[in-house]
Amino acid sequence: MIERNTYYPDYDVLDQIEEWDPVTADAVLKRLGPFPALEFLTGDEEQRLRVICKHLVYDNRDDIFDWVIHFIDQTLADEKGEYQRSPDAPPEKILVREGLKAIDKLAQKLYGNDFLSIDVKEQFDILASLQVGKAASIPEWSTIPQKDLFDKLLVLTVAPYYSHPTIWSEIGYGGPAHPRGYYRIELGLADPWEAQRKDVTEKEEDNGE
Amino acid sequence: MENESRVEKESYVQHNCDHYKDHRYDDLEHRKYGDKEVDVCIVGMGAAGGVLIHELSKAGLEVVGIEAGPFWDPQTDFASDELHAYSLNWQDTRLSGGNDALKFGPNNSGRGVGGGTTHFTGVFYRFHESDFRVKSTDGVGEDWPISYQDLEPYYDKIENDIKVSGPKHFPWGPFNGPYPYPEREPISAWAQVFREGCEILGIRSSVPPLAILSAPFDGRPPCTNRGFCNEGCKPNAKFSTLIHHIPKAIQEGAEVITDSMVTRVLVDDDGTVSGVEFNHDGNYYQQKAKVVIISAFTVETPRLLLNSACSQYPDGLANSSGLVGKYIMPHSGHDVFAKFDQEMRLYKGTPVMACTQDFYETDPDNDFVRGYTLNAHGNRPVATAKILTADAGYWGKELREIMLNFNFYAQITMVGEVLPQKKNQVTLSEEKDEYGIPRPKITFSYCENDNKMIEHGVEKANQIFKARGGKPAFVAADTGHLLGGCRMGDDPTNSVVNGFCQSHDIPNLFICGASVFTTSGGANPTETIMAIAARTADYIADLGKKGEF
Repeated sequence: MIERNTYYPDYDVLDQIEEWDPVTADAVLKRLGPFPALEFLTGDEEQRLRVICKHLVYDNRDDIFDWVIHFIDQTLADEKGEYQRSPDAPPEKILVREGLKAIDKLAQKLYGNDFLSIDVKEQFDILASLQVGKAASIPEWSTIPQKDLFDKLLVLTVAPYYSHPTIWSEIGYGGPAHPRGYYRIELGLADPWEAQRKDVTEKEEDNGE
Repeated sequence: MENESRVEKESYVQHNCDHYKDHRYDDLEHRKYGDKEVDVCIVGMGAAGGVLIHELSKAGLEVVGIEAGPFWDPQTDFASDELHAYSLNWQDTRLSGGNDALKFGPNNSGRGVGGGTTHFTGVFYRFHESDFRVKSTDGVGEDWPISYQDLEPYYDKIENDIKVSGPKHFPWGPFNGPYPYPEREPISAWAQVFREGCEILGIRSSVPPLAILSAPFDGRPPCTNRGFCNEGCKPNAKFSTLIHHIPKAIQEGAEVITDSMVTRVLVDDDGTVSGVEFNHDGNYYQQKAKVVIISAFTVETPRLLLNSACSQYPDGLANSSGLVGKYIMPHSGHDVFAKFDQEMRLYKGTPVMACTQDFYETDPDNDFVRGYTLNAHGNRPVATAKILTADAGYWGKELREIMLNFNFYAQITMVGEVLPQKKNQVTLSEEKDEYGIPRPKITFSYCENDNKMIEHGVEKANQIFKARGGKPAFVAADTGHLLGGCRMGDDPTNSVVNGFCQSHDIPNLFICGASVFTTSGGANPTETIMAIAARTADYIADLGKKGEF
């Protein structure tokens, strides 16, 4: 696969922030930091989780993952609930905490080293095996269902990641637009302030489909 | 009024309290009715509860509505942002199992005044005549005790009350328009390619009826096409009971208590219900009422009835049939994505701007009965990424690749009828929540007919995209809505409530909302929920006039 960058290199969704209502603008700007100290995650857990999050969304810009980690930490510190949980899985606090330990143990068993010290490819292989519930057998998997762990980490990561304005700019998302609204919505049209595609021909060729 | 602290405040989660940090409503300090026995107490201020409280207070009854979540102010509490909108959802953990375990929260259930209407897409279909008699016509499921004709005047009423926008001619079902307000136009690129694909294939398509304004009404502006229907509409262009029915009900004299979780329905010695017990900020209170209506969604309604078991009703209230919690039905909601060369910009326009119901009715050529709606569906980055990850299994490099092309995808979402099966159910688990109530456990698996219909719907969606030059990209297993669990019927051994949502077992206990659906239909259900609620309100108001409670 050819690695592709954005279609919209000149577009920054935050250029429009003056057009957003203050509640929305405030919620989005808080994602740029600074962030308070972690409440739930320990420093050790944060290091492993950060690497996992980066792999899950295939990015390594630390400023974005500062926000992702903050969001996950706040979610896990909170008591509100997690919408749904498999009857076989423990609550998310335990699933993530014990799951991170189990991932380290798995790395030890397979590669003789902790998760952070093994190769990136080995780290990816571990995550891929969890997704399909086929990771090498360790006793922890009887109480930490692999797929539930993988899905939880993935959803906890993509929600904040795709809420970061830098990512919005990259994918050409127009953002909140309240109270301004969108007016040119038909095929081929865009409001003048929206992301406009660059290098159309080159991207089409890159597509490789 | 009882005011007994049974929960350690320090350990209490305080989930049901506040929308601003450290802010507490003081509803309980200036009660309108307080210790007084009111005519009607409604549990849940969502789609059904909102209509009920408005209609019953208009009829001159003394009504109290109790809502677990806050009384939102769209201007200060809503943000046009997917993450921020999490608070509108019912976040409490539900245990979800079965072969096709359901997802909750944004998928189907709200918390706070307005309930799910604060985050529904605004799609406002009527059911078809056949939906009410699927056993007679197709030999599956069960017939409803009511017909389309029974609901028709209430469909008319609800559409007019909130000025539904829709086409001059809607091609399917018994009602073909016109709607009170003109259809939304223009439509978004992704809805245009859907309609063009349909036209090439000879499939009829339409702009759907929407509870979203196309022109000003009642001090509210028309929609500005930002697509944040699922996040709480800040301009108030989309209807919700939060901004329509409930403020009007309060004007009519109703009292709404928020941040208060109803934990038990109270039963008198004579076997009738006498009110409810609720928890506010860690303390327990009671509201006495002559009639109690439970409108608390497909999960919390049976949960409350089962948790209210007492010596007279050891298996839970209204449960002599043993069917409380049984026969729950989501809609199959598979999302089908195709990639186009041109930008579709899924984020623009309201979530659904085109549809077809050409596959709604049973077709003898199919290997399944009943049918579905296809909705051309917009989306925003977080929801799209969640569909890709949690539902379709993408992550890492592939996920990033697809999302970099976010603007080039169009989406069609199916709303497929799911047949009722007794084993699909809500039960009480061993685990307790913050109020000490057992957490609900939901079990769901599709049947063969459901799966065959899904296959058909996904294939049709891909054909529509292909006809218009889209490349089928990925399909995500998804569901929408959740119905049933306290189904209506004429036979008390085979249903929980009658056609007026009155429980067979306890005449002054009503259950009204998504939970009374006998079958699911193949269309978004909110309008039918509200029409049923309006009909129930008429019935209860009549009982009141006759002095029967």
